[in-house]
Amino acid sequence: MSFIVLRNNLKEALLITERGLGENANLPILKSLSFKINKEGVFISSTNLEIGITTNCSAKIINEDKFLIQSNIISSLIANIPSERLDIKKINNLLEVKSDNYEATIPILSPEDFPIIPEIENKNKYLEINGNIFTEALTQVVQAVQFSEIRPEISGVYLNFDLEIITLVGTDSFRLAEKKIKNTNFKTNYEEGFKCIIPLKTIQECIRIFKKNEVIKLYFDENQFLIKNNQTKLISRLIEGNFPDYKAIIPKGFETEIEVDRNEFINALKFVGSSNQLINEVKIIVHEEKKFFEIQSTERSSGKFKTIIPAKIKGKNNEIIFNWRYIIDGVKNIQNNTITFILNSNTKPALISLEDSLYLYLLMPIKQ
Amino acid sequence: MSEINQDELQKIWRSVLIGVELQIPKASFATWLKYSELIDKKDGVAYVSLPNNFTKAWVENKYNKILLGGVRLIDDSTKNIKFVVKSVKPKELFEYAKTSAPTLDNSNEKQLVFAEFKIDPNTNLNPKYSLSSFVVGSSNELAYAATQGVISDIGKKYNPLFIYGGVGLGKTHLMQGAGNEIKRMYNDQIRVKYVSSEKFTSDIISGIKAKRMEDVKRKYRDIDVLIIDDIQFIAGKEKTEMEFFNTFNALYEVNKQIIISSDRPPKAIPILEERLRSRFEGGMVVDVLPPDYEMRVAIIKTKLQQKNKEIPDSVIEIIANKVRKNIRELEGIVNIILFYKEQKGLEITPALAEDIIRKNTQHTPENITPQQIIKSVANFFQILVDDLMGTCRKKEFVKPRQVAIYLLRDMLELSYPYIGELVGKKDHTTAIHSYEKVNKEINTNNDLNQKIILIKDIINKSEE
Repeated sequence: MSFIVLRNNLKEALLITERGLGENANLPILKSLSFKINKEGVFISSTNLEIGITTNCSAKIINEDKFLIQSNIISSLIANIPSERLDIKKINNLLEVKSDNYEATIPILSPEDFPIIPEIENKNKYLEINGNIFTEALTQVVQAVQFSEIRPEISGVYLNFDLEIITLVGTDSFRLAEKKIKNTNFKTNYEEGFKCIIPLKTIQECIRIFKKNEVIKLYFDENQFLIKNNQTKLISRLIEGNFPDYKAIIPKGFETEIEVDRNEFINALKFVGSSNQLINEVKIIVHEEKKFFEIQSTERSSGKFKTIIPAKIKGKNNEIIFNWRYIIDGVKNIQNNTITFILNSNTKPALISLEDSLYLYLLMPIKQ
Repeated sequence: MSEINQDELQKIWRSVLIGVELQIPKASFATWLKYSELIDKKDGVAYVSLPNNFTKAWVENKYNKILLGGVRLIDDSTKNIKFVVKSVKPKELFEYAKTSAPTLDNSNEKQLVFAEFKIDPNTNLNPKYSLSSFVVGSSNELAYAATQGVISDIGKKYNPLFIYGGVGLGKTHLMQGAGNEIKRMYNDQIRVKYVSSEKFTSDIISGIKAKRMEDVKRKYRDIDVLIIDDIQFIAGKEKTEMEFFNTFNALYEVNKQIIISSDRPPKAIPILEERLRSRFEGGMVVDVLPPDYEMRVAIIKTKLQQKNKEIPDSVIEIIANKVRKNIRELEGIVNIILFYKEQKGLEITPALAEDIIRKNTQHTPENITPQQIIKSVANFFQILVDDLMGTCRKKEFVKPRQVAIYLLRDMLELSYPYIGELVGKKDHTTAIHSYEKVNKEINTNNDLNQKIILIKDIINKSEE
């Protein structure tokens, strides 16, 4: 007997680790999960050589042991076995999974071939933050990130920590989202600031795994970082390179400022945007001194859609075309009832921001 | 640096790998050792770089012995291998990325991109500046030649190269162009960094604030060609000046190239520390002057060619004639004229062009008085206002008088009879003659053109 586990606990642990599996023709071993059973629990790990995930599955330990199992075999087995309590036992190079009236024996692999998941060198300095707050902030910026082989330095989320504020930035060079977390929301024993770029895939996994109301800790090395809660830890490489000097693109002034109800704005964008599913363009027309502004479709072949939205307008007339999905991405991240949308001519970035300036979203227009 | 050069290290490593390849499975070799590199070898330690921490952890554990054995076969003084992480851009991946459709590509070509993001984050250079698009004329040929000298003989011939001149005369273009050229010629082997002095200052400040000064120092000392724009802005900022001085020395001592620009020569930058000034003057100091008429024509034609646009020669001549101040203004006017032509569909006649130029270059504030102009001109030439308005025909009075007449007409558009009245009850024909004489001369006499630009600046500033 190796260990006794509740099906749901094992299922949850498998769900967490499965996403860290790799596809590598040279290294099929990356499709398997590593099981290490010792006094402290059952530790399940996966890696794709960019990130490594290890989670602790609570179980009653009988014997210490370690082995590898192909992920798809164990997952479909656990998904289909209805019993609550499972006895798991390693016999030579087979694994026996047994409940009252179900029984399966599956092949296992030798644990020696599994890649070594690196350790973080810095084990003392960390940032401590609530999982919900951190993943929420990541969610607000990660939308703007796209994977690019040509520009690795923007294929991730930029994290800049200056002791007082954690700034997170994501961009695909068409739009940019910046989120700040103040030090009232986190603790740290770092004595100096740092900055790094965390790969997109890592961010996505962090959001998935650590979105819980519990404390997480973040540790940074020069080229890797570790994020962990009580149950799970994820280590990932960082992207080498310099993030663009994005502060230079944040507009200082504005030509036109629109104050509009959030929900009305979203509805209007969706309505006009629905006119053509292919091009996503909408034209925003603002006249100074009016108590409303207009959103119009640009493509005539699919009909003409337009709407008028009440708003407070400051500044001068403007007519600018945007990708409406990009606007909605930014607006949705703001929970206020009113949105401030700042326009700056048809070749300069527009800005959606919150008064407390903890969140801002910039987007470039579409050429007319 | 070690005494062994890169080629030799590569050779050693290749033969080590050939041996190792035979001892481990092919798949393992491809996964773990393909992108390994021997980067240094000294004091009995061989330093091997691997692309990431996973590879490092694995190779350290599994292949340390085999690799050490391989190295010792070639050089038995090696006692140890140290592994470091250095991310490499695998060649294949790079090539692939070039040929396949970029993932970042948007289906909509018209979607605009943040302009600043086109800048290379490693060098801060904007690829749009190239030396081939730099128009060379009598006013900047010296600066251009010096830049060429720097490119062909980095760090030795002219170091530092100090370029000065007014705004919008192409200093930034020349320096960034040089940076891009160096990057291209030496295939990224030479590390170039372009910074504005504001950026330099803010780096220093944030370095102090975040207690990461060491990183900032390393960042600036770890380069081969440092280009700093608008150095005059660091004057008076003590800490920045000191840090710049140290960086300058650190680079200069090891023959790294430094290129600096400023709006005035080193000796004319007030409150610049003496030791910095003498350093600047120790290299090559060159100026760029406002372009002369022929060059302005050439610049307009180059700009049009770049944009693949055309406007009639008569219009080009008018622009070149009327817009003298700097290249940026020239470019602005060309853009506006193209806008009128393409967006409004107007035919650009010489008259329309003149109209557009008048509307867009008229930055003379409205409440400048004729007296102000006269006083400024007199001050500039260091003569008395009374002499300027007098009847004496000495050369030192005649020229200022003509300039004053020209400016009264050019800036305030006063009538000739009134101008004649203002400069000491002269006839209106004198005024006409003077205006036309100066107007013609500024196209051929650069010195005069510059003086007039300077006086205009003074007048505009006194207004503010």
